[in-house]
Amino acid sequence: MVLVSTAVCLRGPEPFSSPRFVYLYKPSSTLSLSALRSHLLGFKSAAMAGTGFTPKYRSEIQQMMFVSGETGDISQEVTTLIEQIVQQQVHQMLRDCTETATRRGSRSIATDDLMMLIRHDKAKVSRLRHFLQWKDVRKNLKDSEDKGGGDAADLGAGGADELGAGIVGPGGGPGGPVDTTKKNKKAKVDLVWDVPSFFAESVPARDDEEDEEEEEMNFATLQRLKNADERTKNMTREEYVHWSDCRQASFTFRKGKRFREWAGFGIITDSKPNDDIIDILGFLTFEIVQSLTEEALRVKVAEDEYRKAIGADTDKNNPRKRKRVAGLFDPPEEAREPVQPSHIQEAFRRMQRPRNKSKAMLNFTSGLFRRPLMLI
Amino acid sequence: MFRERFFQIEARITDLFSDKGRNPGLADQDHFDGSGPQLQEEARAADAKKSAAAAAPPKKAARTIDEDDYGDDDDDDEEDNVAATSPLHAKSSAATPSTLPPHLQVPTLPKPSDSRGTPSSSGDGARTSEDVRKKLEQSKKELEERAKKTSYTLFHTLETDRDAMLEQQKLDELDRQVENEMSGQSGGRSNNAAGAAQQGSLSNANLGASNLTLKHLIARIDKYRDRVEASDSQLRSLISEVRKNRSKWASEDKVGQEELYEACEKVLMELKAQTEHSAPFLQRVNKREVPDYYSVIKHPMDMGTMIKKLKSYHYKSKKEFVDDLNLIWANCLQYNADPQHYLRKKALYMRKETEKLVPLIPDIVVRDRAEVEAEERRLQNGDNDGEGIEDSEDEEPIMASRGRKAPSKGKKGSTAARKAPPHGPEGTPGAESKPPMSSLLGAPNSGLRTEVSRAGSDAPMDSNGFATPPPGTLTPLGAHGAAHSGAPPSQADASEVDATGVSVNGLPLQADDPDLDDIEFKTWKQVTKKDRAIAAAERNRMFHNERLNVEAQALLRSKAGMRRWLRQQKQAQSEEKPVDERAMDQDAKDSPQAIPGETLAEGIEEEEDRTLPDYYDPVNAIPDIDDRLKWVEDSNGEVVDPCEEYLRMMPKGYFTSPESNLTKKMDANMRQMQDTRRICAKIGIVKQMQLQSQMYQNQFQKYDPQPFVEVDTEPLVVQDDSAILAPWACRAALQRSVGKLFYHAGFEEFQPSALEAATDIAGTYFANLVKTLTVYRESPQVPGEDSTFKPMFSPEEQVIHCLDRNGLDLESLEGYVKDDVERLGSKLGVMHERMKAHLSDLLRPALDSNAGADGAGAFNDGSEQFVGGDFADEIGEDFFGFKELGLDKEFGLSNLSVPLHLLQNRMHSAYQAQNANATTTVGVTMDTPPQYEPVTSQNVGSQIGLVQPFFRKKLRENGDEPLIEDEDLPAKQRFPKPRLPPTGKISSPRKRPLREQQQMAKKKRKIDEGKEVATGGGEGANNSGGTSKPLAKPVGKLKLEMPNNKEKMAVDNEPEKDDGSGVGILSPESIAN
Repeated sequence: MVLVSTAVCLRGPEPFSSPRFVYLYKPSSTLSLSALRSHLLGFKSAAMAGTGFTPKYRSEIQQMMFVSGETGDISQEVTTLIEQIVQQQVHQMLRDCTETATRRGSRSIATDDLMMLIRHDKAKVSRLRHFLQWKDVRKNLKDSEDKGGGDAADLGAGGADELGAGIVGPGGGPGGPVDTTKKNKKAKVDLVWDVPSFFAESVPARDDEEDEEEEEMNFATLQRLKNADERTKNMTREEYVHWSDCRQASFTFRKGKRFREWAGFGIITDSKPNDDIIDILGFLTFEIVQSLTEEALRVKVAEDEYRKAIGADTDKNNPRKRKRVAGLFDPPEEAREPVQPSHIQEAFRRMQRPRNKSKAMLNFTSGLFRRPLMLI
Repeated sequence: MFRERFFQIEARITDLFSDKGRNPGLADQDHFDGSGPQLQEEARAADAKKSAAAAAPPKKAARTIDEDDYGDDDDDDEEDNVAATSPLHAKSSAATPSTLPPHLQVPTLPKPSDSRGTPSSSGDGARTSEDVRKKLEQSKKELEERAKKTSYTLFHTLETDRDAMLEQQKLDELDRQVENEMSGQSGGRSNNAAGAAQQGSLSNANLGASNLTLKHLIARIDKYRDRVEASDSQLRSLISEVRKNRSKWASEDKVGQEELYEACEKVLMELKAQTEHSAPFLQRVNKREVPDYYSVIKHPMDMGTMIKKLKSYHYKSKKEFVDDLNLIWANCLQYNADPQHYLRKKALYMRKETEKLVPLIPDIVVRDRAEVEAEERRLQNGDNDGEGIEDSEDEEPIMASRGRKAPSKGKKGSTAARKAPPHGPEGTPGAESKPPMSSLLGAPNSGLRTEVSRAGSDAPMDSNGFATPPPGTLTPLGAHGAAHSGAPPSQADASEVDATGVSVNGLPLQADDPDLDDIEFKTWKQVTKKDRAIAAAERNRMFHNERLNVEAQALLRSKAGMRRWLRQQKQAQSEEKPVDERAMDQDAKDSPQAIPGETLAEGIEEEEDRTLPDYYDPVNAIPDIDDRLKWVEDSNGEVVDPCEEYLRMMPKGYFTSPESNLTKKMDANMRQMQDTRRICAKIGIVKQMQLQSQMYQNQFQKYDPQPFVEVDTEPLVVQDDSAILAPWACRAALQRSVGKLFYHAGFEEFQPSALEAATDIAGTYFANLVKTLTVYRESPQVPGEDSTFKPMFSPEEQVIHCLDRNGLDLESLEGYVKDDVERLGSKLGVMHERMKAHLSDLLRPALDSNAGADGAGAFNDGSEQFVGGDFADEIGEDFFGFKELGLDKEFGLSNLSVPLHLLQNRMHSAYQAQNANATTTVGVTMDTPPQYEPVTSQNVGSQIGLVQPFFRKKLRENGDEPLIEDEDLPAKQRFPKPRLPPTGKISSPRKRPLREQQQMAKKKRKIDEGKEVATGGGEGANNSGGTSKPLAKPVGKLKLEMPNNKEKMAVDNEPEKDDGSGVGILSPESIAN
């Protein structure tokens, strides 16, 4: 086993390299990198040429990215790229789910299969459960609304908001009357592999039990909420309305048919998905866009810093060779320049970097590590 | 100290002899006569003594020799030079009373020639050649020794064996070819030739059984020499007559031919055997391949031709033979003038070899017998003179003279130094071959192999030098002598094959070798080639077409092989000991030695000595036995069992998971799961009971999981501290751990295949983990501060790197412990509580919330808990006294409550009632009507008059107890409810139990038959006889309802019959009534 420390840089459209040291296995590194490169280039060319792919979710993706922190004017190239990535991911998910379902002996995929896919990302699982719970709440509310409950309209609004921004959680939105929702929050989403499944008999649910997991689990969620909070703190009313509109962006919400087509239902998996699955996918697709955006922003920040560090030397246009000091009236940095496709590509590459875990069993063998597409 | 002295002595002696040209044999004896410590004195006295010493010492030497011979069973060589020293001899000789150390006996060699009074000139000649031959032989021995020694220290692989075998086959091929050609020429010889050819080696044909018997005859004669009335010469000639199996070269007519040819053949074979170099010279140069060869070379010669010539007795003298040999090399060198030519190298090498070997050939000119005999007769007188002393003393044993004699027969008292050198590669040297010099250090010399003694070996060399060759002979001795000094004398270890010796040139000789790479290996290869070839061929024979050859002979342990192995062992042992110790040891060893196995019978077995290490012969060996298994007795004669020293009990817990917080927690979790599952099982039973109306005792298997116990292995005794390598046990342990993890992850049971697969994966993963760790741990050190080297990674780094490499990190490990163990534990706890609550809900609905603070409310709805005694279980009290009555044992009750299946009915009804309540309670709009008052004897009067008699009767039967409503009857006495068949007609009276119905059917049939018979007569008796049958049914109908009953009762005075036996039978009567 040779430990190689290689500076891996991806050849993007722009010469871009921030020194990153990646431990790689020699044999697989070259291969996988080239594979990845072609992967990405394929994306890019497809996006550029626009052949065979018509973007359908441009505005949604824009909104999602805005919520995720990208404030600038996002080019269509970027959204198309992201959309392609997301679509690929969804296809992969459906394939995997179908496989799991088949193994289970079922022809149609269930929510458990989707849960299974992301089981290793505990935070995400917890968010998803959270989301499903609130979705349930909303459904119950709707029922009671139909029955003519008095103040259900109010609650419904709150619930809808929660659904749309389910990932952000209750704290982010305007928030309905908490007591009522709490009361309605009956459905506890159990994972198939969780403790209750250990036993042959099921126990009737109890209301009085607090799920202590959530509080611990969603550190990432809280972090996001905090970020969102920071960003909304100084917003004007209009801005905030826009923000909350954006938060409702979804691939699936009220676009079921379009999404089914886009995701390849009927082709990849022949089942007619139930609502839960569509909703989960909506949630997961949002997560993908969000992770990608956040990672891309990080990449961009790193790149900017790197530029700044060597900027004086390379910038031919600046004869003074002095580092530009941020001026008092400069526009805020992040607004200066939106995320470029190269950033997205790099972010994607980083997220696709094979984990040691997945190839640990290949150590000391000559087995070649075949990189599957990893779910973000 | 000895060494120095020896040097001095050597120097002096050399001077002496070189100056005075003293008879070497005597000097030799002189020199060796003294025992070790006395040597120097003797040497000092040598000048003075020289002349005087001549007489006495030889005698002694002679005696020792023949004593030597007594014990000598094996390996006589053809020449019977019995002084020969097989190791056995040496040993056995030590056992003799002789005061001389074995080696001292050696020097007698030269003596024969003297005593025989051969002409000094020829004697000299003979001696020189002999001497050289000895040298060569010694050098050969030396090589063998070295090879052997390397085989002690090195393991040689078998891969070169095949080449050796092939080369050997080529040689044999050549031999055969020559044979064929020869046989054409001289058919008479073919037998012998074939025999010789097949040997192909220098190993001399031994004499076989006949010779051996002869030998013992001789020994016998020697022993009782004084009783034998025959002169030595007579005896000798007698023996020589008797002797058989003489060399194939022997010829009655040609004197000296045997010796000469013997030697020549050996030399030739020897040269031929150097396959690496000799190959090009084996056959005639092919004119087709080298067209111009014969234009350049006028007198072609090759070894094959030489063999042919030899076999057809073309050579008349040594010179002719040698000339031919040299012609080969010269031709080659002439033709291949290019100095770089590879053949030159070979030719040069071969020439060098030739030079070394040629002196072995006695310088004999083959003469006609008649001529020689005349000479012999002439010499006989001189011989007698020379032997006068010995003869006069009758002590002179034949055996000793045998050595001399043997040649004499061949040559018939020829002058030449008789005996062809019987030197085989196996190294059972003839007597002559015994190196005189080896005696050198006498007893202590056994240590020669050590460095220390090496210096001492110079002395022997020199002594050797002067001892044998008469001064002035121009043998290559000088050169050799020089060479010797550097080489370790491989000396005769008593246990070793031969007491031969030294001489050396092993090392220097090898150094000459033009293309040597690894001396040791090369030596090894060269020396053992033949043996390896044979071994390989034997191995090959075991196979046939790449398969085991079924026809092959079984591998059997042979006595000879075992002896050889024994010798090797002994030698190896003796070599390990320090020098001085060894000297002592030698005595000790030698005295009782006389290896028991050395019997005559054994001697018969072919004693071939091979240079191969014993691992070439796995059959003939005894595996090593641990020293600690030695039989030791203490002072009381008790056997001391040394096992305590090295045996130990395997520590406990080697194959169980070590106790740690984690394992404890996991165990707790698993216990918790088991408990919860137990509750689950109860819940399941209860639920099932609620649904099912009937239950059987065995319907539900009791869920009674056993606690998990990791079983350790049986107590085990192990040796030393090494790890215990028991893959199966380890795997089983791992499998158990995997199984536990499965269980811990919530699987109650799993398929064996899944377990196997997971175990394999886990095993591989852990192996990877450890390997990774090893890689990091053994990564090269890096220079640290102050020029020291430190490991590249600290232990912590190693672990962290290793984890990372395998896709783990500390967080994930910690996360596992936190989430999958600890939190799981708490979750399980919660779940357990909930399960328990659920079960109690099911079992005691009363106890819920409406039971009231004091639980008094629990009685309100007729809960069964006090009947079943569940609460008692909870408080752990023997509420019903089951234990007191012994019922718990009798029925194997698990707890002290009433077994559930006994309560099933109640449970069922309770559930039904509950459920019914659930549905009806909401919709109850009307109260249930009040119960009828039971009919008693008091209030019977208030009933309708018509039914009063009926009631009365009932009451009477009931013992004036109140009558019970049908619906309140116990379930079994209750009438089954009538059902309306699909036809809508009520065809039969109330349904009866099956058996009853059958009985009734029978009765009915009988009655019917009876009726048929008595129809006419019966009519009158029964009013409605003809219509009785049709009417019978309506009667049944009537009975369905109480009022009807009552009505009928009123008329009928046999009311008990209606619920009792046969309605059908009675009906006509009742009607009639």
